[in-house]
Amino acid sequence: MRQPVKLPSVDPFLVWLIAIVAAASILPAQGRVAAWFGVATNLAITLLFFLHGAKLSRAAVLQGIGNWRLHALVLASTYGLFPLLGIAASALDARLIDPRLAAGVLFLTLLPSTVQSSIAFTALARGNVAGAVCSASLSNLLGIALTPLLVGMIMRTAGTGALASWGSVQTIALQLLVPFVGGHLLRPLIGGWVDRHKAILQPVDRSSILLVVYTAFSAAVVNGIWSKVTVAQLGVLLMLSAVILALVMMTNALVARLAGLPREDAIVLLFCGSKKSLVSGVPMAAALFAPATVGMVVLPLMIFHQLQLFTCAALAGRFDRAAALRDVPQGAEAAAAAAAARGIAIPEACMPGVVANLALLARHAETLHGGTRA
Amino acid sequence: MTAAEIAVAVRSGQTRAVDIVERCLAALAADRLNAVTRILGERARAEAAAVDAAIAAGRDPGPLAGVPYAVKDLFDVVGLPTTAGSAIHAAAPPATADAAAITRLKEAGAVLVATLNMDEFAYGFATINAHHGTTRNPHDPARLAGGSSGGSAAVVAAGLVPIALGSDTNGSIRVPASLTGLYGLRPGPATLPLQGVFPFAASFDEIGPFTASVADMACVWQVLSGLPATTAADPAALRVARLGGRFRVNVDPDLLAAIDAIAPATPLLELPDIARARSAAFVITAFEGGALHAEALARDAMAFDPATRDRLLAGALLPRALYDAAQAFRAQFHQQVAELIADCDVLLAPATPCVAPPIADPRILIDGAMVPARSDLGIHTQPISFTALPALAVPLHRPGRLPLGLQLIGKPGSEPALLRFAAMLEDKGWTGATAPPGESA
Repeated sequence: MRQPVKLPSVDPFLVWLIAIVAAASILPAQGRVAAWFGVATNLAITLLFFLHGAKLSRAAVLQGIGNWRLHALVLASTYGLFPLLGIAASALDARLIDPRLAAGVLFLTLLPSTVQSSIAFTALARGNVAGAVCSASLSNLLGIALTPLLVGMIMRTAGTGALASWGSVQTIALQLLVPFVGGHLLRPLIGGWVDRHKAILQPVDRSSILLVVYTAFSAAVVNGIWSKVTVAQLGVLLMLSAVILALVMMTNALVARLAGLPREDAIVLLFCGSKKSLVSGVPMAAALFAPATVGMVVLPLMIFHQLQLFTCAALAGRFDRAAALRDVPQGAEAAAAAAAARGIAIPEACMPGVVANLALLARHAETLHGGTRA
Repeated sequence: MTAAEIAVAVRSGQTRAVDIVERCLAALAADRLNAVTRILGERARAEAAAVDAAIAAGRDPGPLAGVPYAVKDLFDVVGLPTTAGSAIHAAAPPATADAAAITRLKEAGAVLVATLNMDEFAYGFATINAHHGTTRNPHDPARLAGGSSGGSAAVVAAGLVPIALGSDTNGSIRVPASLTGLYGLRPGPATLPLQGVFPFAASFDEIGPFTASVADMACVWQVLSGLPATTAADPAALRVARLGGRFRVNVDPDLLAAIDAIAPATPLLELPDIARARSAAFVITAFEGGALHAEALARDAMAFDPATRDRLLAGALLPRALYDAAQAFRAQFHQQVAELIADCDVLLAPATPCVAPPIADPRILIDGAMVPARSDLGIHTQPISFTALPALAVPLHRPGRLPLGLQLIGKPGSEPALLRFAAMLEDKGWTGATAPPGESA
C-alpha cells in the first residue's frame, strides 16, 4: 500500500551549504590558502563536469526524443521563459535589490534543469517518467553549451558587471565542455561503473560543490559580502524567487492545458520546466564569474533551489493523492495486477463481479473527489 | 406479549420463566422465515430456571426477567463458533465468553434463545445468505425482510421473541426495522458495547435492539447502555426539522406525506455534500471490510458467499489514499453537520426508499433505474451512519399495508430524547408496530 506523501523537511544538503557559508564567513580562506583552494576548486569543477558527462545517458535522451512537442516546451521554459523573467528581474531598481544579487537571479534563470529531482518528483506525481528522464537529460546536455552562451550574450548585454570578458566566457566554456564531453565520450567504458556506484559518487559530487561554495564565499566575505547583503535583501531575494517560480509554474500549467498535453506530460512540463540545477549552477558560476562575485551570484540559486524543492514536493504529493483517487483498478487486467500485489488471486468465476464492483467503487471515488480534483 | 408484559408477569410470579421460554422455543422451531440459525434450547432452559430460582429465593431477577431474546449470528455466545453468517466460520473455535451485550442482558434476567440469520459478514441490506437461505418478511413471506440483521427483524416482527439484537454499519438495523414494521435503534458511537461482536467496518459498526414497542426499546436501552432512558425534556417542545434534498428523492410518497404530517411547517434541512457522504461511506466500508477479510480471501475466496466475495475482493483492492481521503472528508462533514443541526433536537428522514422488495426480483427503483436491493436499500441510512448521530427507526402505523419506517435522528447522546419523541408519536397513533397477517403481536 502506498504511504501518504509528506512535505519534506529542510534538504540536508542545504544545511551543509549553510554550514559551509557560515564557515567561510567566520574563517574565510585568504592569501596562499585561498590560492590553494582556487586550484582545488578548479580541479573539483573539472571532476564535477566530467562526472556530469559520464552520468548523462544519451540512450535515455534518444529513447524519449520522439515526444518532441513536450521536450520543446520544456526547453522553451528553461531557456526562453526563465531568461525573460531573469532579464526583467535584473532590471529592478538597485534600491530594491543589490545589482549583484539581481545578476545572480538572472544567472540562475539561464541554468539547465535538474535531472535527479525532476525525475523523482515526476515519478512521485505519477507523471511520464520516461519523458522526464529525456527532457531533463536533454536540458543538461544542451545547457553545457547553451548556459555559457546565454550568460555571455545576456549578462554582458545586461551589463551587470559581474561577468568576466566575452573572450574569457569562451575559454571557460571550453573548460566546462572539455571535461563534460570527455566524461560523456568515456561513458561506454565507465558509464556502467558510474551508474552502479551512484551512492559513492554522490558524496564526491556534493563535497566538490561544498568546496566550490567555500572558496566562493571566502572570496566574497573578504570582499565584504555581509556588509552588502542584509536580511531585508535576503527577504527580497526570497520574494523574487517565489514570484519567478510561481510565474513559470502557472505559465507551464496554462501552456500544458492549451497544448492539450496529457496529464502525465503536463506533470513533466511543470516539474522539468520549472527547475534550475544547483549542481550545474555552482561550478558554472565559479568558472564564469570573478572569484569575489561568485558568492553573490550563487546566493539566489541556493535560495531558489530550496524553494523549488519545497514547492515541487508539495505539488507532487498533491498530484499523488489525486492520482490515487483515480487508482481504483479498472478492468480484469488491472484488478488481477492489484490483487497479485496484495497476494490475492482472483478466481475466474469472481472476476466479472469484482470488476463490476470496482467500477461502482470508482464512481464513488469520483463522487467523493468531485470538484476538488487536481 | 411485549418484553415489559413478560417481565411484569414473571417478576410477579404470575407465570414462570421456563414456561415462557418453552413456548418461545417451540415457536422458534416452527420458524418458516429462515430467520433462525441455531436454537439454544439447553442454555435457554438453564437461564430461565435461574431466573425462576432467583424469584423463588426472593432475589431481584432483573428488569427483563424471563424475557426471551435472540441475537444476530455475529455476537459471541460462549461455547459456540461465531459465524458472522459465513460457512467459513462454521467450524471456528467456540467463543470463550459471551459478548458484553449478552452478558448485560443476562444480568437483567433476559434469556437467550437463538442466533439469527444475516447477510454474510453483514455486507448487504437483504439477508440473502447462501448458507442459511434468504430470510422472509413476516408481513409477506414472498418479500425480503431487509438486512443485514434480517433474522433479528423477522423474529421480532413475527412475534417469536419480543427483543432481538442486531448490528448496524450502514443501516443494517434501520433498514430491516423499516421493512418489517419495528423499532430499531442505531445508537451513537461506542454507546453500546461492541466487545465480542464480529466486526465489519470498524468506523461505522454499532449494535442495537429491535422491539415492537417504544417501551420495550427504552427498557433494553437502559439495560444495555447503563444510562437512563428517560429525559426531562417535553417531547412537544423538541425542535424538529425534516431532512430535505436527497432524503426527499427516491422515497415512497406515503412516507413523505407522513413525515410532513408529523412535522408540518418545520424547517427542511439539507445536509451538505450528501452524495459525497454516501460515496465516502461506501469507500470506507469497502476498504475496511476488504482489509478485514484480505487474508481469508487470499486463502480461499471461493469459500465466501457469492453475494459478498466479489464486493469484499473489490474492497481489498482499493488504494489506501482513497480511504484516507474518505476519512478526511468525514471529519470535515461531521463539523458541517454539527453546525447545521445546532438548533434542532430531532431530524426526520425516511429509513428506506420503499416497502420490502420481492425475493423473486430483489431490486428497487433508484433514480429511475432498477438496482440491487442488497446494496441500495440503505440509501437513506448510510449517510446518517456517516454523521455518527444516533438514529431510531420507527414504524408508520399503517395496518393492512406493507410496513414503512422513518428515522428519528438526534444529536450525540440524545437517545433518551429520541425515545421520548418516539413515545409521543406512538401515543398519537402516527407510529406503531402492526402484527403481520395471521399473527398476534
